[in-house]
Amino acid sequence: MEQRRQNSGLRSAETTDGKLKLVLNNSLAAVEDGRSEIIRFLGPLDAMAQNRLEVLFEELVSNTIRHGFAKGSDQSIHVQVERGPAAITLAFEDVGRPFDPSQAEFLEGFTSAETARVGGLGIPLIVRLSSALHYEELDPANHAGFRPRNRTTVSVAIQSAAAEEDA
Amino acid sequence: MDIQHSDVGDVRKVVLAGRLDTAGVDLIETRFGASIVPAGKNTVVDLSQVTFLASMGIRMLIATNRSLSRKGGKIALYGASPAVREVIDTVALTELIPLADNEVEAIGIVAG
Repeated sequence: MEQRRQNSGLRSAETTDGKLKLVLNNSLAAVEDGRSEIIRFLGPLDAMAQNRLEVLFEELVSNTIRHGFAKGSDQSIHVQVERGPAAITLAFEDVGRPFDPSQAEFLEGFTSAETARVGGLGIPLIVRLSSALHYEELDPANHAGFRPRNRTTVSVAIQSAAAEEDA
Repeated sequence: MDIQHSDVGDVRKVVLAGRLDTAGVDLIETRFGASIVPAGKNTVVDLSQVTFLASMGIRMLIATNRSLSRKGGKIALYGASPAVREVIDTVALTELIPLADNEVEAIGIVAG
């Protein structure tokens, strides 16, 4: 097990059994601090897969901090990162307001500059750039220690090592 | 995140460089609007040095496009990498702000 430093957005990071486990603070600095740890853990990826992963991480973490948490609270997001043979999976757990991105409605397209919406743009990115998306509202009483209310799991398909060598 | 602007004839050209994520947008959003809206000119935005785009960056583009359109100006984007283009296409941003392959094409769009 490897444990890493703390900083403003990152409460802790450890690698156990081939999985990266992060605890992120209720701070938008968590987006960049967490991203750096994930990229370091995963190593080289094809550019499109890495971009999708970074967009999903950015949207899910920033949405939880902006809309799910009380401002300035000590709430945290627990993230587990696992690289499988065909996909990378990110599992997010938090104690914030329940929100299921897979069921969230979003408007399609735009009609004019004047009426164009500026909010809710992260939802179509989460839904469409993930190869799998699952949300579960949890019963905090069933967990010892950290008691999450929400678990959101997203996956990004990756090329196999053999395919990357052929590319 | 860095931003520079200049004029190409009657068209304002804005060059963005870096990550248009939450932190990057925080850094340049005010300067981005200030470099485009007060002049009221048709504008092209060079994305060729933008390495990442997420919803906060799209939000910045839409808000600035709205303010400029109230002055009669138009924006076109160009030079997006495949990864940035995928994000733009995913939210159908091109229904609102055209995306060209290069500067000449983008200037043609806003001047046309």
